Amino acid sequence: MILWSFHSEWIKLRRRRLWYGTYAAITGVVVLTTMVTIVGANNAVDHHRGPTLAELSRASGLGLGLTDSAILLGAVSLAVAAAQFGGEFTHGTLRNLLVRQPRRLHLMGGKVLAVLLFLVGALMVAAVIGLGAAFAMAHARGIDTSVWTSGTGLSDLGVALGDIALSVCGFATVGMILGVLLRSSVIAIAAGLALLLPVETILTNAVPGTARWLPGQLLNAIASGGSLHADFGTAIVTITVYFLVAIGATALVFVRRDVTA
Amino acid sequence: MPSQAIAVEPVTPGIGSDVASYAVLTKGLTKLFAKRTAVDRLSLEIPRGCISGFVGPNGAGKTTTLRMLLGLVRPSAGDGAVLGHPLSDAPRYLRRVGALIEGPTFYPTLTGRANLEVLARLGGLELTRVDDVLERVGLGGRGRDPFRTYSLGMRQRLGIAAALLPNPELLVLDEPTNGLDPHGIAEIRALLRSFADEGTTVFVSSHLLAEIQQVCEHLVVIESGRLVFQGSVEELLAARSPELIARPESTEDAMRLLALVERHGRTASMGELGGSLEVHVDADACWAGELNRLAMAEGITLVHLSERCPTLEEAFFEITGASANDTALRAAVSEEQDLGRP
Repeated sequence: MILWSFHSEWIKLRRRRLWYGTYAAITGVVVLTTMVTIVGANNAVDHHRGPTLAELSRASGLGLGLTDSAILLGAVSLAVAAAQFGGEFTHGTLRNLLVRQPRRLHLMGGKVLAVLLFLVGALMVAAVIGLGAAFAMAHARGIDTSVWTSGTGLSDLGVALGDIALSVCGFATVGMILGVLLRSSVIAIAAGLALLLPVETILTNAVPGTARWLPGQLLNAIASGGSLHADFGTAIVTITVYFLVAIGATALVFVRRDVTA
Repeated sequence: MPSQAIAVEPVTPGIGSDVASYAVLTKGLTKLFAKRTAVDRLSLEIPRGCISGFVGPNGAGKTTTLRMLLGLVRPSAGDGAVLGHPLSDAPRYLRRVGALIEGPTFYPTLTGRANLEVLARLGGLELTRVDDVLERVGLGGRGRDPFRTYSLGMRQRLGIAAALLPNPELLVLDEPTNGLDPHGIAEIRALLRSFADEGTTVFVSSHLLAEIQQVCEHLVVIESGRLVFQGSVEELLAARSPELIARPESTEDAMRLLALVERHGRTASMGELGGSLEVHVDADACWAGELNRLAMAEGITLVHLSERCPTLEEAFFEITGASANDTALRAAVSEEQDLGRP
């Protein structure tokens, strides 16, 4: 039955405007960030300005542009997921779905799988195009790319892509949770973006040490394979605990709440 | 049409063992929203295979009741069974139930066909059903157009098509004629009739009482969440007597005629139609001859004498006592009369 729900959701995700819009947005973010990363690189070490030319010419250099795009990819993913879940309440379509699939957890499970697959698919397409742009820009800047396609280079790229995919899924999960709890796509997107961008940034700067506990910062750390605030393992464990609690609470609300919209 | 076996064994506490005879059976069904009681100890008995009308003023609790039957809203108290299965086990009966609740809501940018595919996939139904139901409601030629381009009538028909997807034994329709023109209403009426002819139980809520009278054989009336009446339409109408309408040639004779009728032990009242006064007498056609003779003997010439049977509106207002207060329902009735319906 989860598979029925997955297939059903996939029909909605195939909407031309949503499909092209999401894929274009994610590809645009990846290509633009890759270009900015490579064009802006120089020999001076400044972690606030991105990688140096020397770092880019290492085996892991190919994935650095992708990694830099994590927060923007997260924002797009959160918005798409929140719209897919909150929209069912806003449009009043949830009641149709629940009459045909009254097992609410099955409905939710299928929708989650479909949305995550859709976003990871978009990320992979964007990555392919972004990597092409990275090679072109690197040649234009005279960066040595010979080790990018080495075994180590491809392995590092795979790890970077996996980390970013995990981060994208995490941001999308935040969007889905907000969509279900707030029952409105617009409010869910606004609340999610406000929480993960300005609120977390202000908290991080105002109260030292908080970044290690904030979900947006943790998802960023996962995308980067670890950060100054939290190493990869700590970030994964902390965010997993957060999600287990939040998903459990959301599922409980979704199953028990009256559908009056 | 549907001929699946009826499960009779999972009888819920408080519900009788004759649960299988009814498409819908509830006992003391109640729903509280905060401090407001939307549905108050409602006990329904909807026989299988009939078209049952569900009537009540706006805010009477019709939609909340339907939502409880469909597992969308959890009852605060009471119990019930749909197609032989308890309300608490909605997944077991909803596979055989089709529903249109509070108007058709679909994804605007998807085509009508894709919208139905979403629901068919979700219910694990054959996609061939999509074409079947589109044809059935007359949307076969427009299935590939986006839902947002549909007229109100087409949207209603797509909603009914969605309800038909599982080849239902029970069809629950909430105001299916809302916003439709007389032609569209007639189409929906014919569709409902055809579903019942195929053995489907149709439970349809509407505030258009004339429509209900024309298509339904069974009726449930609620007000303020409480059951006011349930039974056949004939039973409800039989509770009200017909009346004789007598119009004298001269307006001055109207008062004399009224007094004459009352002298002979009949209850009567004065009415007006197109500037002419007429006397309404609580009596059926059997007394028409006597009335005519009495009037002649008194020197009163009648230019009109007829029997008028009570309408569902009148019966409804009488049993709910809502006529003076429920302006929305009054407006709906006036609208029907303006359209020339009985």
